[in-house]
Amino acid sequence: MAEFRAAKGDLVLENVTKSFTNFTAVDDLSMTVPRGAFFALLGPSGCGKTTTLRMVAGLEQPTSGRVLIGDTDLTGSRPYERPVNTVFQSYALFPHLTVRDNVAFGPKRRGAKDAQAQADATLALVQLTHLAGRKPTQLSGGQQQRVAVARALVNHPEVLLLDEPLGALDLKLRREMQVELKRIQTEVGLTFVHVTHDQEEAMTMADTVAVMNLGKIEQMGAPEVLYDLPRTKFVANFLGQSNLLSGHVDDTDGEHIIVSAAHHKLRLRKSRAAAGSGDIAFGVRPEKTRIHNTDPGASAAGNSIGPGTLLDVSFTGVATQYLVDVPDAGRWAVYEQNLDLDRIDSRPGDTVWISWDPGHAFGVRP
Amino acid sequence: MSALAHIGGSPSGTSTTAAPEPTKRGGMAAYLLLLPGLIWLLVFFVAPLVQLATVSLQSQFPGYPGYYYRNVDFGNYGRAIVEYWPHFVRSLLFAGLATFFAFVLAYPLAYAMAFKAGKWRGVMMICVIAPFFTSFILRTIAWRQILSDEGPVVSVLNFLHVLPGGHITETWVAVVAGLTYNFLPFMVLPIYASLERADPKIIEAGGDLYANGFTTFRTVTLPMSMPGVLAGTLLTFIPAAGDYVNAELLGSDISTKMVGNGIESQFFKVLGGYPIAAALSFTLMAVILALVFLYVRRYGTEELL
Repeated sequence: MAEFRAAKGDLVLENVTKSFTNFTAVDDLSMTVPRGAFFALLGPSGCGKTTTLRMVAGLEQPTSGRVLIGDTDLTGSRPYERPVNTVFQSYALFPHLTVRDNVAFGPKRRGAKDAQAQADATLALVQLTHLAGRKPTQLSGGQQQRVAVARALVNHPEVLLLDEPLGALDLKLRREMQVELKRIQTEVGLTFVHVTHDQEEAMTMADTVAVMNLGKIEQMGAPEVLYDLPRTKFVANFLGQSNLLSGHVDDTDGEHIIVSAAHHKLRLRKSRAAAGSGDIAFGVRPEKTRIHNTDPGASAAGNSIGPGTLLDVSFTGVATQYLVDVPDAGRWAVYEQNLDLDRIDSRPGDTVWISWDPGHAFGVRP
Repeated sequence: MSALAHIGGSPSGTSTTAAPEPTKRGGMAAYLLLLPGLIWLLVFFVAPLVQLATVSLQSQFPGYPGYYYRNVDFGNYGRAIVEYWPHFVRSLLFAGLATFFAFVLAYPLAYAMAFKAGKWRGVMMICVIAPFFTSFILRTIAWRQILSDEGPVVSVLNFLHVLPGGHITETWVAVVAGLTYNFLPFMVLPIYASLERADPKIIEAGGDLYANGFTTFRTVTLPMSMPGVLAGTLLTFIPAAGDYVNAELLGSDISTKMVGNGIESQFFKVLGGYPIAAALSFTLMAVILALVFLYVRRYGTEELL
């Protein structure tokens, strides 16, 4: 039996590929998760995020590439040899053991003399001391979830992996657990790698988000940066919503490039464009746009589009959502906060224009 | 089959969804649905049981062998036990051994079916069930051929000079082998059902929490399959203890007879043996019930769902 490897440091994936018989789940993926970070792997189902996680846990072995923690190469080692623990999506609690014995399972296997005491201390951290004697089936979903977290945390892993841990909880409990997990992570200071398909969850909790699609990382960075300046069409649409318009770079004007699309000349800051020439997709977030009943005119030239036909107006309380059909530019969404009651006078069928602040537009690869 | 895996492990009230309040009409419907089963039990289980109990207490009409009169004669039980206690010991011993060997054979098979078989799972399942399509008696007779002195097993063992006595039939080995074979599916199926229901993620969690393959099996997989093991051992032990076909067809005329053989001969071969046969039946039932009760009390996994 191989030895437990007490590695310390950043989690590093080097050119990791995982192929199954008829498809490639993870395709030449490289990334570094700094020690102590709360890292989220975000993507739609089937994008390879869970496979990536399982390779870090040792539950799958990469077809090629390496998995390291610090300088220690963990590739090929078994799950029980790694300083890594997983919070499974279905919690996977041992049904025949009490909550306390579930949590003490890891320390016991590693020969800790005070396994029960460690379990009790960790149960206190997740505020479940009063349920220590129960069996998992006697707990609610949220409580089971916290047992699963405690069972992994008690081992003080170098990296804690969370596989859609909140997927089975209802919305209210999800919000509570998001805050709770964030608190625990801050308190214990461990590296958390959190896999989720919920973009809001990823952005709320993580310091760094990696958006995955088709086995590759599309873009990685702080949530605010990713949201403000997506670099690919996929990220622009998966992380929030975007109005996107395909065009090509026509001209430059100092710090700006001019994108020609749908009979409009749109201005875009060079620093916010993924390409300086050729084809580009021009994008702007719905909540960064405003709707007008009249042509905003020359003052907004390059930062507006229209005229279009208003298709739908929906009042959501906080905001009003407009759906506008702009000829050759498709359907645009506009979210306006309800600051100004007079403005709510548009009706479907009206002719409208859309404008935005030039600093909010972005350009992504087509 | 999965219902069998629940023996000793009732789904106790841990369900999170509250059952809707049963209406008056719903209650009536439940009783009506139970009625055919209850009538069946009354006519074909309770009535014969009462009849058997009265027979076990009858006395023989003096001077008229084969005739009885209604009585409350517990002496029948004493006579039955004095005469047949070795049969009881053999019954429990052979059934216990058969249960043990069936477990040893069935667990790896059920484990392989649940976790390793992949596309072969269906084929394996058919192989386990297929013998039921042939008569029990016929299969036991086939075992007589397999274990006969000229058969392959004995020939090979004799060639290697490792078989004391030189033959298997007419010995307890043949009886235990027959019992093991005949009740093996009843061990395999509940264990398979309980393993198959286990979430593979739970077994992965064992590995994730520093347990190697063997430790994970010992501390996670095996305990999780205990309801199936419990059901399987009961389903094997109970019928095996009452069986007489294997001892009749594979065993010897004297030294390997079980209680079932005693009951059979008292009923069909001994003139005036009815009360003794009935007393033997009741004693066997009581012994098995007591053993099962103790066993379930000791190993019952009620919390385990």
